[in-house]
Parts: sequence; structure tokens; C-alpha cells
Amino acid sequence: MIELKKLSKVYATARGPLEALHEIDLTVKDGAIYGVIGLSGAGKSTLVRCINLLERPTSGQVIIDGEDLTAVRKKRLLEIRRGIGMIFQSFNLLEQRTVEGNVRFPLELSHTKRAQAQERVRELLDLVGLSDKAKAYPSQLSGGQKQRVAIARALATNPKYLLCDEATSALDPNTTASILELLKRINRDMGVTIVVITHEMKVVESICTDVAVLDRSRIAEEGKVADVFSFPQSEIARELIIPGLIRSIEGNGGKKLRLVFDGVTEPVIAGLALRLGIAVNILYADAKNIDGKAYGHMVITLPDDEGQAELVKRHLAERNVLYREV
Amino acid sequence: MSKLFIQLGFEGFALAAWETVYMTAISTAIAYLIGLPVGILLCVTDKDGVRPVVWLNKLLGAAVNILRSIPFIILMVALIPFSRALIGTSIGNGAMIVMLVVAAAPYIARMAESALKEVDRGVVEAARSMGAGVFAIVWKVYLPEAKPSLIVGAVISTVTVLGYSAMAGTIAAGGLGTLAVTQARPSNAQDVIWLCVAITVLIVQVVQELGMWIARRTDRRIPPRAKKIRTK
Repeated sequence: MIELKKLSKVYATARGPLEALHEIDLTVKDGAIYGVIGLSGAGKSTLVRCINLLERPTSGQVIIDGEDLTAVRKKRLLEIRRGIGMIFQSFNLLEQRTVEGNVRFPLELSHTKRAQAQERVRELLDLVGLSDKAKAYPSQLSGGQKQRVAIARALATNPKYLLCDEATSALDPNTTASILELLKRINRDMGVTIVVITHEMKVVESICTDVAVLDRSRIAEEGKVADVFSFPQSEIARELIIPGLIRSIEGNGGKKLRLVFDGVTEPVIAGLALRLGIAVNILYADAKNIDGKAYGHMVITLPDDEGQAELVKRHLAERNVLYREV
Repeated sequence: MSKLFIQLGFEGFALAAWETVYMTAISTAIAYLIGLPVGILLCVTDKDGVRPVVWLNKLLGAAVNILRSIPFIILMVALIPFSRALIGTSIGNGAMIVMLVVAAAPYIARMAESALKEVDRGVVEAARSMGAGVFAIVWKVYLPEAKPSLIVGAVISTVTVLGYSAMAGTIAAGGLGTLAVTQARPSNAQDVIWLCVAITVLIVQVVQELGMWIARRTDRRIPPRAKKIRTK
């Protein structure tokens, strides 16, 4: 378990102190894929670097499995870091080493015997699907392949945690999807707890179990992805999760209802018109079809008539569509 | 053909060329052994380095700057007592090597520092995230990653030292510079001077091309196919 307690980071700059993180409290439970999302400059990168103390927090604690990293000796800190893998937006591979040399690197640091290390490297390259590239150099690989090498390298010492700093931000959508799939598999099959830093909603949406929304050095909102995504409370979360939504709500008079589809199979809005004869305006819709079920958000107008409005709400409730008046 | 030219013959020129080559090679090698660790220290103890030690960085930086700002001919004079204390003499090839080392080491330190600072900070950060200590970062990240750059730096340093070695005549050491300045010029043997120049140019060319070829070959950032393309 990773616990951040009242974590603050202040940088001294030429123009005076700059607060990158303000009293962050955050808990990542074992087995989670924890997303931290925010706009650039919100403090995400600083936050993830504070977890393995690449950045030393100005105040507060970083507690991993009960041990406060800010209080341990340097040597112990290096040991703890070996149990926390990390991958980066720019991959950060050693350019002068082959793929297998890169994956072997952390094993050399932990003084693993050569034969044993070689065996582990083979396993890892197999895991990330790059066995045929063992002797290649990073300059000969594509972005997605480089990130796979980085993942193999980060996992070499069997870490319990994996930190991902904008790991898919430099990749195209297809490659992103395959890397996310790999991370999911690592979480599921190897029980690695993952912390994902990103500015991309779709990353959180597709793999995270929990999410924290970071805004101007503070946590604006935190919770299970399903909850936060369905009913974001903070303005920044709403902005990030449903960008067009706010405009659609603000721009129109009258009563409106925001609907959240969470795996609905029936054509709900059409049903409204056909069964109840009530026609509603759709002001905003962002829905996805996954395995024949609808997921997403919609904003509709409510009839002015109170009775009709009640009928609409009941119709929605009966079909498991979550709604809230906005 | 001048009298001096005939008098020197093949052996005379060959000896001078050999003296230049071995003074340059030995001086550069020793200077590298001193300059590289200093360059590593400069990089590591920098305020953005992996182990910032501001006072040490400032101290080393100042020492390097002072030595580098003294013109070589003045440095030679200043080093006479030092050379005498160190190897018992202040004249001859041995003394010249001492002076070349003192002049070249700070130069090489800066070269090495800048080569190491070219290493991607992200890669260093990745190594830190894997629990690498300062020693491992230097040995397994900085030096191997900066190798091509360090080789290029060595080539440039060698050529600079070769240039300095022309002043060897001042302290009665040998080489092509001495031959041209102290023997050929007084007797106005233009042909000897020009041959000395030609041989020096040849040596520089060989060092330069060979060094760059090695640097290119060791650099894995360049895909093999692109290596064939000649870059200047």
C-alpha cells in the first residue's frame, strides 16, 4: 500500500517559491490501478516522482508498506526503489545498450547472477512480446516497442509497484491501446499495483480502478473511477471527463437532466418517445457501444410539465439509467 | 634543397615526427587519466547533478578555468619549478610531457564534463528510479552512454596537445615544432619548414579521421545503415 500524507513540494525559483503540490493525501491500495489525472502543470509529474523520492517532498510523508521513505537511510532508499518500477513518456532507455542489455540493467544493480539474469531477461522479453528484438538497439525500435522494453526493464526485479509517468502520451492511439492492455495484464496476472499519471481521459477510463483529479497542486476529487466518472463533483473533473457537457448545460434555459449510461442495452430515449409519447431534446451526448451495451453521458431537456417530468424519471430509473437534474 | 634538408635526411624527419607523436600521445593519455575523473566530478557535483556538492564543484570549476586561461607559453615558464620538483628536470621531452599534461588535463576535464552532461537526463532519472547509486550511475550510465562523445573529445584534445607540442623547442625538447622553429628558421631552410608543416597536417588528419571513425562505430544511436553516410 502506498500512502501519501500531507505531502507538499515547493520549488525555489528565480521568481520566488512555487508550490507544485499542496498537502496531498492519497492512498493506493494493493492491486489497484490508480490514475492521477490533471492538466499540464497541475503537479502530476512531481507527485509521481515523490512516490519513489526522485523528488524529495518539502514536507509530508511517503509511506510504502508501512515504511516512511522520507525517514530511511540512503542505502535503504535504493533498496526500496528496486521494488518500485517506473516507466516514462520518453521511454528513457540506455541508447548504447541492446534491448536485452537494457532489461538486464536493474538485475546488474541488484547483483543477480549472470545465468539467472539471462533467464529472467528472456522471460520478460517474452512477456512483452519482443523476444525477436533482444539484440536490437533502441534506435532501431518504434515508440511502442521502446515502451515495451521499458516495461520489461521496470519489471525485471519483480517490483510490487509500477509507476507510469505519461507512459502512453508519446504513442499513437493503437499503440496506446496495446500498451494499456499490457499494463492491465501485468496488474491482473502478476498482481502489480500500478500508479498511472496521465492527462488523457481515455487512459483512466480504460484501465484504472481508482482516480484522483489533480488541479493546481491539490486533489480536487478522488474515488472509484465509476463513481467519479458518472458524477464528477469538482469543476475540473467535469471539465476533464465531459468537456462539452458544461457548455450544453449552461447554454440552455429550462430544466435539464444529465443521464449516465452504464451498460444499458435498451434504446432508452426512443422508448421514451414511443411508450410515453414524450419527446425530449438531446443537448449533449457522448456514448460508446461496448459489447452491445451503452456507456456514456447524455444531457436531455425535461418537459416543463411536472407530471411528465416524473414519468420521464421513472422510465429512466426502471431501465437503470442514472440521472441527475442539472 | 637546403643543406639542412639533406643533412637531416629521412631519419632526421622521422625522429622529429616520432618525438612529436609520442609526446602528444603520452601527454594526452596521462591528461585523460587526470581530466576524465575531474570531468566526472564536475558533472556529478553540479547543482543539477546526481550528487550536488556545490563547494567542490565551484572549487574544481575555478581551478580548471584558471589553468585554461593561462596561455601555454606562459604556463610553461610558470611550470619550470613544478617540473623540476616532479621529475628532476625542467628541460627535454620529459619536462615537455609534464607541461603538456598540466595544460591539457583541465581542457579534457571540461570536454568530459560537457560530454557527460549531454547524456539524456531522463535516462539518468530512470537509473535512479531503479535504485542505482552514484557510482553505478557514473559507471553504467554516464560513461557508456557518453562514450562516442568522449572519444570525439579525446580526438579534439589530442589535436590541441599536438599544437602545443610545437612549442617544445622553448625548453629544448624535440619534435617537428622544434625542428622548424629552432633549426630551420635561423638557417632559412624553407623546404624543411614546409615538410614539417606537411607531416603535422598528415598526423592531424590521421588522428582526426581514425578517431571519428571509432566514435561513429561505437555509437549505437545511429542505425547501421546510416553509418555509411559520411558526415562532416
